[in-house]
Amino acid sequence: MASRARLFKEYKEVQREKTADSDIQLICDENNIYRWTAHIKGPADTPYQEGVFQLSINVPEQYPLVPPQVRFVTKIFHPNVHFKTGEICLDILKTAWSPAWTLQSVCRAIIALMSHPEPDSPLNCDCGNLLRSGDHRGYRSMARMYTRLAAVPNILH
Amino acid sequence: MDTMPDLGDRPRDDEIMAQHYAIRAEEAEKMSFIGDKEPLSSLAAEYESGNAIFKKKIEKLGETYGALRRTRGDGNCFFRAFMFSYLENLLETRNEAEAGRVKDSVDKCKQSLLDLGHSEFTFEDFLASFTDQLDGVQDGSLSADQLVENSRDQSISDSVVMFFRFITSGEIRKRADFFEPFIVGTSGLSVQQFCRSSVEPMGEESDHVHITALSDALGVLIRIVYLDSSNGDGGNNLDVNFHDFIPGQCVQEQPILKSKPSVVLLYRPGHYDILYEK
Repeated sequence: MASRARLFKEYKEVQREKTADSDIQLICDENNIYRWTAHIKGPADTPYQEGVFQLSINVPEQYPLVPPQVRFVTKIFHPNVHFKTGEICLDILKTAWSPAWTLQSVCRAIIALMSHPEPDSPLNCDCGNLLRSGDHRGYRSMARMYTRLAAVPNILH
Repeated sequence: MDTMPDLGDRPRDDEIMAQHYAIRAEEAEKMSFIGDKEPLSSLAAEYESGNAIFKKKIEKLGETYGALRRTRGDGNCFFRAFMFSYLENLLETRNEAEAGRVKDSVDKCKQSLLDLGHSEFTFEDFLASFTDQLDGVQDGSLSADQLVENSRDQSISDSVVMFFRFITSGEIRKRADFFEPFIVGTSGLSVQQFCRSSVEPMGEESDHVHITALSDALGVLIRIVYLDSSNGDGGNNLDVNFHDFIPGQCVQEQPILKSKPSVVLLYRPGHYDILYEK
């Protein structure tokens, strides 16, 4: 199956580049090459800084002709991420998908989305409204609070 | 546990995608990627009670062209039509030298993609689906019937379309300075954005920019014949417009190829079919 072969190549690439991109840790499920987990570091100079966010990645059989399903497992306050489900509104995960993307570069695109929220296509309307009304301080403090609560592993200990 | 919580009234993304694929599958039943060869009269029949300009133009078209082959309108029709028309022509003319030449072009495209930063594993399988067909022409193992079958096979056809999308995007980005004015002028997007949103994804329709880039990347002359309701000078001399995409015309270091177009497509707004000369 083409998807399995492709994922195996991605797996090898991930092993080879493990040290190259320390902001992304991609782990393949031991028993199922169609299920992956990623840990991505919140980018600097954003309210997500210092957080480590877990993504769950489900790869459909038609991959790479269709996109992987990616969502946040770690709670995040971001206009383009559904607060309850972690679903992500990102063009390349839907209509603008192309096999030129890889699981690794998808993670990079999600990190870019964390740095550059798009409040005009919100999945989290409360968050989108804060940004659209110009309340950047309000957005930052909410986002930072949730980062501390959910994404900074040792803060409670 | 990794389950998707219930969202209530809003459909989930995977549900939206599933519906999207279901619609596509329904379309697929109506029309295969590449249809059978039909006489041009079947085109005339479509417009029997329609636009007078169309009718006149189809009559005019009949002076030069005798048949057409329809393609499925799924946004990939230009690439699928190109794949079939080019390979069919190659088979019929038994042009092994041309098959070899286009393989060299494919190698150059591959190098360009690597230079642009693509990992080889992201496109090598798609590339192979196209070169497999070329190998078949060269070693004689590809028959006309097999070509039709391959072109109707979803996995082969999608793969080849994807390869064309990769090299079209690669050609545009490699010569960004040349393509930029056309892209910015018509779409308002940057070259990168345009390639990402309008070239690389499956199902995105092709226009002049895509055709120019693919023609240049592979060095293949493509003729597009336009069937639309434009009325020329308004007189009785209705001409059917066509445009030849001549590879190398816009690239100085390449010799300009002046030969018969091997790919002739009929364009009706939003769709490409394959045309056959008489």
